[in-house]
Amino acid sequence: MEKLILFFSSIRWQDLLDITLNGYILFRLYVLSRGTNAFRILMGIALLWFLQRLSASLGLVVTSWFAQGIIALAALIIIVVFRNEIRTVLQGRNLRSILWGFPRTGTRTPVEVLVDSVFELARRRIGALIVLSGKDDLSEVAHSGIPWQGLASKEMIMSIFWPDNPVHDGAIVIKGDTVKEVGVILPLSHRQDLPSSYGTRHRAAAGLAERTDALALAVSEERGSVSVAKGEKIRVVEGKEELAWVLQQHLGTSVAPKKRTLKEKVELSVAAAVSFLFIAGVWLSFTHGQDTLMTLDIPVEFTRRDQALELIGTSANAVRLELSGSLTLLRSIRPEQVKVQVDLGRGEPGTNPFLITSREVSLPPGISLKSVNPPVLEVTLDAVIRKELPVQVDWTGKIRRDLILAQVKVSPEKIQVTGPKGVLENITTLYTEKISVDTLERSGTVTAQVLLNHASLRPAAGARDRVTVEFVVEERAP
Amino acid sequence: MIYRAILFSALLLFLAAERNPAQGGTQKPVLVQAVVCEDVRDGSCRNQGAVFSVTVGGVACYTAFDPVPGRTVIYHNWYRKDELNAKIRLVLQPPRWATFSSIQLREIDKGPWRIEITDQEDRALRTLRFSITD
Repeated sequence: MEKLILFFSSIRWQDLLDITLNGYILFRLYVLSRGTNAFRILMGIALLWFLQRLSASLGLVVTSWFAQGIIALAALIIIVVFRNEIRTVLQGRNLRSILWGFPRTGTRTPVEVLVDSVFELARRRIGALIVLSGKDDLSEVAHSGIPWQGLASKEMIMSIFWPDNPVHDGAIVIKGDTVKEVGVILPLSHRQDLPSSYGTRHRAAAGLAERTDALALAVSEERGSVSVAKGEKIRVVEGKEELAWVLQQHLGTSVAPKKRTLKEKVELSVAAAVSFLFIAGVWLSFTHGQDTLMTLDIPVEFTRRDQALELIGTSANAVRLELSGSLTLLRSIRPEQVKVQVDLGRGEPGTNPFLITSREVSLPPGISLKSVNPPVLEVTLDAVIRKELPVQVDWTGKIRRDLILAQVKVSPEKIQVTGPKGVLENITTLYTEKISVDTLERSGTVTAQVLLNHASLRPAAGARDRVTVEFVVEERAP
Repeated sequence: MIYRAILFSALLLFLAAERNPAQGGTQKPVLVQAVVCEDVRDGSCRNQGAVFSVTVGGVACYTAFDPVPGRTVIYHNWYRKDELNAKIRLVLQPPRWATFSSIQLREIDKGPWRIEITDQEDRALRTLRFSITD
């Protein structure tokens, strides 16, 4: 019980956010890809991963190796094979539908295909009778149909009602996006109030609509008009928009979306629960699985140094950190993720001891600091001062035996430099880079870089770090 | 009577000494010449320069003071880079005086040198700079 309390108390709000976020991402992946080939392949790869882990734990070398190889290629396989599906998900939907929407996997009737097909038939004056079934079973009232089971398309509907087609006189029954039957004989309406212009096709449409909840579309080959029969009503529709609206009303696709079925709700709930449990399991295995120790040597970074102080030296440039955490997390640490930063803001001239605690050490989430060696860093700081120093030329080489370098003048003679007081106090002269006398034959001028041998020294603001050297060469006295 | 004459003479000498402090050593010697050369022969510097080959064997620092108010001491401080290599004590005699110091050169002496000429209170009178090369 105590362990359980300790465990729950160790969970941070970041962990909860982490699990929730990734659980939701996993759930959305499921929602967006369910029913597609991509989802099935993803499930296959997940199964393969499980198989690989199982075979590895059982010591099945070849099986494990084989599964690992396929998994290694999984990312490539998913991207290449399912590029179209991925594109459909990312481009075809708006952000809201990707993040929040639930695409229906149930019945989908291609309203646009039907509308286009029907008005094309009407334009060509080709008679047609199309039934969109509802919940009622049509087998009791519609007879003699020939099974078709074809995906509804404009070309197919056009060809079914083409005058030379043997089944063009009957009705077709569409359920979902599939043409289920063709050449279906429908019962005729016996109503007397129907216009006399209505022929057998329109009476058949009205007859079916009266007896079932199906919707029937009749295309007149004489007038080129489109009529819709639903329930007791039959009327002519004037345009594509009106027909589309009528079809949507019948199918309930956009105007009044059907409520989610209980089965679908259960499926989504289970998927959500599994997603969150899976991510929680992964998080648990990452953060609490197999507690391990690891040591890392990390260089120390010094921050917020007072500009009036210079860092002279430290007792150590790097510290050894002993870290603990799960083996998985420790293995995945990159050195740049671990930082040791010492704030020099409270430092003073002289030697300052700085204690390295967890405040100074930044670690990736899930990793904790066990110890630091050395625990204290001694940092020597010194006040920055400005000093004017004479510049001397550092000659080198061998001058010709009959010549002598008689005079040298350096301009400027002195240069102002800034640096730590302790360093500058011990420096009395700045030297130039080496200038060779090997080739000197007559008087002249050269420019030379002034060397600031200590790393903390720099020319004062406005001061140059180059000098001009004028020299006089004379004949040497015997 | 003779004692009075001796006492009077002593008093005059004391007053004269008090009036002329230069004679008593409070005035400083004035440095009129300071050069570095290969060697000093017959009281003069040969081959003054700023660069000397280690093959010449030695280098001298020649300094001349005028006036020299009283017997005093100066120093020639020889530095290689910033490290004191030799501190040579030289005595100046009034009324004027020229003196020099020298060092023998070795292979390890190559590099930039400077000579600080200081008085007995360690005040710098002048700094001479030169280099020893191949």
